[in-house]
Amino acid sequence: MQAWWSKVQNIFGRRRTLASELDEEMESHLQFLIEENLEMGMAPDEAQTAARREFGNANSVRERTVESWQFPSLESLVQDLHYALRGVFRTPAFSLVVILTLAVGIGANTAIFSTVYAVLLKPLPYPYGERLIWLGESNAKATGISVTWLNFQHWRTENRSFDAMAGFQNADLTLTGHGQAVLTHAALVTSEFFQLTGSHPTLGRLFLEADDSVQSPATVVVSDTFWSRFLSSDPQVIGKSITLNGSAYEVVGVLARDPGFFPRPVDYYLPLRPSAAQAAKRDAHGSLRLLGLLKPGVTLAQARSDLNTILARLAKADPGPEDDHRVYAQFLASELTDGLNNVFAMLMGSVGLVLFLACANIASLLLIRMTTRAREMAVRTAIGAGRGRLARQLVTETLLITAIGGSAGVLLARAGLKLLTNLAPSGIPRLSEASLNLPVMIFAGILTLAVGLICALAPIFSSGRINMSILLKEGGTGSGSNRIGHVIRGSLVVAEIAMAVVLLFTSGILLRSLWLAETVNPGFDSGHLLALELQLPSGRYETDPAILAFYNRLEDQLRTKPGVESVGIVNCPPAAGDCGDWWYSIAEKPAPSRDDVPLTLLNMADPQYFSTMRMRLIAGRAPSSDNRAASPPVAVINQELAHAWWKDARSAIGQHIKLGGPYMKGPVLEIVGVVANVPQLGLDSPPLPEIYFPSEQRASSGMVLAIRTLGDTASVISSVAKTLASIDSDVPIQSLKPFDERLGATLKQRRFIALLLAIFAGIAVLLAAIGCYGVLNFWVRSRKQEIAIRIAMGAGVSAILRRTGRQVAVLGALGLAIGIAGSFFASRWVGSMVFGITAHDPIVLCFAAIAALPMITAAAAMPLWRAVRISPIETLHEA
Amino acid sequence: MLQGTLEVLILRCLKLQANHAYGISLFLQQQSDSEFLVDNGSLYPAIQRLLQRKWIAGQWKTSPNGRRARYYSLTAAGRKELLRATSKWQRFAVAMAKILAPEG
Repeated sequence: MQAWWSKVQNIFGRRRTLASELDEEMESHLQFLIEENLEMGMAPDEAQTAARREFGNANSVRERTVESWQFPSLESLVQDLHYALRGVFRTPAFSLVVILTLAVGIGANTAIFSTVYAVLLKPLPYPYGERLIWLGESNAKATGISVTWLNFQHWRTENRSFDAMAGFQNADLTLTGHGQAVLTHAALVTSEFFQLTGSHPTLGRLFLEADDSVQSPATVVVSDTFWSRFLSSDPQVIGKSITLNGSAYEVVGVLARDPGFFPRPVDYYLPLRPSAAQAAKRDAHGSLRLLGLLKPGVTLAQARSDLNTILARLAKADPGPEDDHRVYAQFLASELTDGLNNVFAMLMGSVGLVLFLACANIASLLLIRMTTRAREMAVRTAIGAGRGRLARQLVTETLLITAIGGSAGVLLARAGLKLLTNLAPSGIPRLSEASLNLPVMIFAGILTLAVGLICALAPIFSSGRINMSILLKEGGTGSGSNRIGHVIRGSLVVAEIAMAVVLLFTSGILLRSLWLAETVNPGFDSGHLLALELQLPSGRYETDPAILAFYNRLEDQLRTKPGVESVGIVNCPPAAGDCGDWWYSIAEKPAPSRDDVPLTLLNMADPQYFSTMRMRLIAGRAPSSDNRAASPPVAVINQELAHAWWKDARSAIGQHIKLGGPYMKGPVLEIVGVVANVPQLGLDSPPLPEIYFPSEQRASSGMVLAIRTLGDTASVISSVAKTLASIDSDVPIQSLKPFDERLGATLKQRRFIALLLAIFAGIAVLLAAIGCYGVLNFWVRSRKQEIAIRIAMGAGVSAILRRTGRQVAVLGALGLAIGIAGSFFASRWVGSMVFGITAHDPIVLCFAAIAALPMITAAAAMPLWRAVRISPIETLHEA
Repeated sequence: MLQGTLEVLILRCLKLQANHAYGISLFLQQQSDSEFLVDNGSLYPAIQRLLQRKWIAGQWKTSPNGRRARYYSLTAAGRKELLRATSKWQRFAVAMAKILAPEG
C-alpha cells in the first residue's frame, strides 16, 4: 500500500526532483569510479572512459529506475502514444493511405450496418413487439391472403393462444371541405389495434369497443400530422366532424404519435366494421388482415395449430368453398421485412469484403513498413529498449492509426448514410430511422478495434523472432524478407485479387440484370404518354353510370385539347402492381381439379386504351364501343393467358372464360381479342395472365387515363389538370406523370442495390490494385541488389521482366482462379436479383476476370518498370 | 541472481553502516569474492524499491573525501525486514544444500 502510494506521489509532482536527484547520484557514482581509477594510476582520459564502461549504460539504468517509480504500463502507454503520434506524422503519405483505406472500409460497413440495424435488428416500437403476430389466410394457391370477417370473429373469441387480436385494412378516401379536395389515406382498425401498438391520444379518446359496432355513429381518430396539417392543430377539434367521401365523421381523438404500423403513412383511423355480406358469409374476403398478441410462452406453431383447429371445426359447422383455408401467421417483425434479409445480407457481405480488402492492404503496408523500420527498431533495442516494449509500441502505433481511420470512417458513414436513405427505394420499413446510434457506434468501435489488432499483430507474428544483432549488421532488408513474410504477402495479393473478382462478378450480374430490365420491351410505347391517376369520391359517384359518365366526359374533353393525340382509360396500368386477381377456367377446356384452378389478373379498359398505348393486338379485336353494359360480356386476354391454353393465340377468339373457375359462381366471358403482355408488376417481373373487361361493362371509381401527346408530355400537364378541375374540382389528382417514370420507378430497388454493389466493387478494385502495387513494389525493392547483379552479369530486359513477371503472373493467376471459384458461391446471394440471365452468367464471369486483369497489370507495371530500370553500378555501389 | 536476493543483500550491507550506491556495489563485490557483479541497471531500481517500501532512507551527505553523495541507511522497518529475510534465506539455503548434497 505504501509502495503504491509513493508511486502515485511520484507521478504527481515528485518526478522532476527525483529525476535530477538520480542524475546527481549517478554522476557522483561515476566520480567515485573515476577517482578509484586515478588512484590505480590511470591517465585522466583513460580513467573516465574506463569508469563509464564500468558504470554501464546510464540511459538504461535511468529508464529502469524511473520505471520502478511509476505504474509502468500507464506511463509507457502515454509515451507509446506520443511516439505513435510522431510516427503517424513522420510518414504522412503512408499514414494517409492507411487512414483513408480504413475510413472507406469502416465507413461503408458502419453505414450499411446502421440500415441493417434500423430495418432488421431494432426491436419493434410496440409494447410487446416480440409477441406481435401478423395473421392472414392461406390456401393451396396463395399465402397471406385476407381474412374474412367471420373467420376473424371466430378466431378472436375461440382461440387459446392470443391475449388480443385486432383487425386492420387500408382505404383511400377523399377529404373535402378543407380547400381543394385531397385524397387521404385511412386505416380501418378494430378497437384493440391501439392497445396492441401502444398508442395514446393527446386529445379526446381512441376507439372503444362500442366503435366496433355497425350501429355506432361514424367516428374518426386523426393522426397528429393530419391534425396540424388539415385541422390547424385546433384544440377544440373533438366533437367536430370532417367530410370523407361525402359523409361526415366525428373526430373523437387525436393520436399523440402515430404508431407507424403501415408502410404508407396514415392520415386517420376509422373503426373497422363489416359490410352486410362480410357479416353473413364466411368466404366474403375484403383486404382484412389481423394483428395478434401471442400469450407469453406460446410458440408460433402452437398458435397456428390453435387457429387451424378453429377453421377445421368451422369447415364442419359451416361448410363452404373455402374449407381448405388455413391460417397464415408470422411474427410481425419478420413479416414486415420479408425478402429484405436477402438484400441486406448481400450488402453486408459486399462491404465485408471491402473491409477485408482494406485490412489486407493495411496489414501488408505495415509488414513492408516493419522491414523498412527494422533498423530503427534494432537501434532502439541496442540503446536499451526491451523487446516487449517495442512490440507494444508497434501495436499502439497501429491502434492509434486505426482509431484515426475508424473515426474518419464514422464521419464518412454519416455522409454515406444520408446518401443511402436518399437513394433508397421507398417501402423499406424503418429505413428512414437509420442513424449512427449507440449500437451502431459500438459496432463501428468493435470493428475498428478488431481491424487494428489484426493488422497490428499480423506483422509481428509474420516476422517471427527478430534477431536484432543480425539486423544491425546486415542493415538491409531484414525481417520482412523471411519466408513467412513472403508467403503472407503473396497470399494477401492472391486474396485481394480474388475478392475484387468476386465483387466485380456480383456487381456485374446485377448491372447486367438491371440493363436487361431497363431495356426490356414493355409491350407498349411509353414515349409521349401521360398517366392521370384518379380516384372518384364515392359520395357523388356511387353508381357505374355516374362513374362512366364522368370518365367519358373527361376523355372527350381531353381529346379536343391541343397536343393530345388520343386518350384511353384503364383500371390497372402497367407497373401498377396487382390490382386484383381471381380464379378462372376455360369453358371449352377440361375442368381443372379443385386444387389446380388457375389465377389471372383482372383489369378494365376502354377500347381506346389499347390503341393509345400502342399495344400489339395479336388476334381478334379490342372491345368495340358497342360492348355496352347490357350486351353479352366479353373480354380481351393477354398473350400469356392465351399461350397457357392455346398454341395459336387466334384459336382463343370466340372461346369462353368462366370467372371463378368451375367450382364457384361467376360470369362467362367471350374472348374477343388477344393483346401483347405488358409488365403489370414491374419491368423486372415475369408476365402474368391477365383479363381486360370492357370498362363499359365493369367500371371502377379508380381509373387511370392514358394520354398520348403529340409533343412533349410536360406541355400538356397543366391543360389536363385544368380540364379535370373544370368538370369537377372535388376530384383529387392521385398522380399525373409520364408513363416512363412510372415504369422506371419499378426498378428503383434494383437500381439502388446495383449502384451500391458497383460502388463497392469499384472501391474493391482500387484497394486491391493499391495492395498489389505495394507488395510487388516491395518485392522488387528488396531484390534490388540481386536484380542489379543479374543486369551486371548481362541479363537483358526481357530476362529481368520474365523473372519478376513470373511472380506477378503466378499470384495473378491464383487470385483469378480463386476469385472465379468464389464467384460461383457468391452467385447464390444474388440469385433472387438476377433478371434475364442465369446467376452464373459466363459473360459476366469473363467480364469480371477481364476487368481484374488491367487492375493487376496496372499495379504490376510500375514495380516491373523499376526492376528493369535498376542501375547496376549505383545499386552495387550502395551495397 | 534469484528474485529478491539483491534487496536482501543491500539491506545486509546497510546494516553495518549507511552507504551510497557505489559503496554498496563495492561491498557486494568484495563480500562475495567477486561472485556477484551487480550491474547498475539492477542496483538502482532495487534501491528505489527499498526506498518505496520505506525499508531504507536516503540522505545527501559529504563523503570522507569531500564528495557529495546520497547515503542510504536502514529504517526500523528495514531492520525487521532484514531479520525476517535472513532467517528465510538461511532456511532456504539449508534446504537447498540438503537436496543438492551428494547422496550417502
